[in-house]
Amino acid sequence: MNDQVLAAVARYGSPALFAIVAIAAVGVPLPITLLLIVTGSLAAQGAMNVWTAIAVATAGSVAGDQIGYAVGRWGGRALIARFNGLLGGPERVRELDQRARSWGGTGIFFSRWLVAPLGPWINFASGAAEYPWLRFTLWDFVGEAFGAALFIFLGLIFSDRVQETGAALGDTSWAIVGVLAAAFLGWKLFSRKTK
Amino acid sequence: MIQPRYRTLILVFGLCLAIAATFFFGYRAGRTARHARWQNEPVRAWMSVPFIAHTHHTSEDVLFQAIGVPPDPHDHRPVRDIARAKKLPPADLVRELQDAIGKVSPAGKTP
Repeated sequence: MNDQVLAAVARYGSPALFAIVAIAAVGVPLPITLLLIVTGSLAAQGAMNVWTAIAVATAGSVAGDQIGYAVGRWGGRALIARFNGLLGGPERVRELDQRARSWGGTGIFFSRWLVAPLGPWINFASGAAEYPWLRFTLWDFVGEAFGAALFIFLGLIFSDRVQETGAALGDTSWAIVGVLAAAFLGWKLFSRKTK
Repeated sequence: MIQPRYRTLILVFGLCLAIAATFFFGYRAGRTARHARWQNEPVRAWMSVPFIAHTHHTSEDVLFQAIGVPPDPHDHRPVRDIARAKKLPPADLVRELQDAIGKVSPAGKTP
């Protein structure tokens, strides 16, 4: 599957790039970081224009994210109502809603490129929490454009080392997630001790 | 409801897990980055011949000739599709390409 995705972009260029990033944004697990690095390498070889590639990747991702948001917005509420008890009751759900709104923008931005596997879940959760659509789209666009530019330019710079660059980046982003999780859990433990 | 004592235990366990994951992935990222400096990009069946030529700093004409395909810089077919057209297993073409790269620059053998 991964090989077919990478081969499709190498062979068909922008249309394939748009379709694949949109499908991945909906929630299908595809190697998007590596795909964008390969796209950068193709741009370095003159097979694609770098700015067109960034624009196409951003547009495809935003289109896919909108589908996830819409599903959450019009299907998520019913799902939450059904599993209300499991989530801790209506009070707890309201609290989670408020938290999702206050962390929304930052969460949306970082889940576009730093913790990309969380992206589809954040889209669904944002829709379900009725996070304002315009604000969601704005943060989504900024995050996706930043992520696409970052990975495509890395592919442009390390155009002869795409697989190693992709692997190193994947591990780096998980290491960053580990640091953030450790910081969060450490802070939680510290605040429990000082109570 | 989870008891406070168990909640603390879960938090400690999560913290240990997060620290272990940070070291594991950090070490792996560093090792990959170090390898990338002296190891050539592996040839994969999804790559096109011009792509392989670029990643190995080799002439694409040499690689096309090595697999018996007329040189064409606009031929972006993946090696897998070329193999299918020639009714060969992709692994055979990958091996031929690796041999051709090895002949052009013996120091640049792919893993």
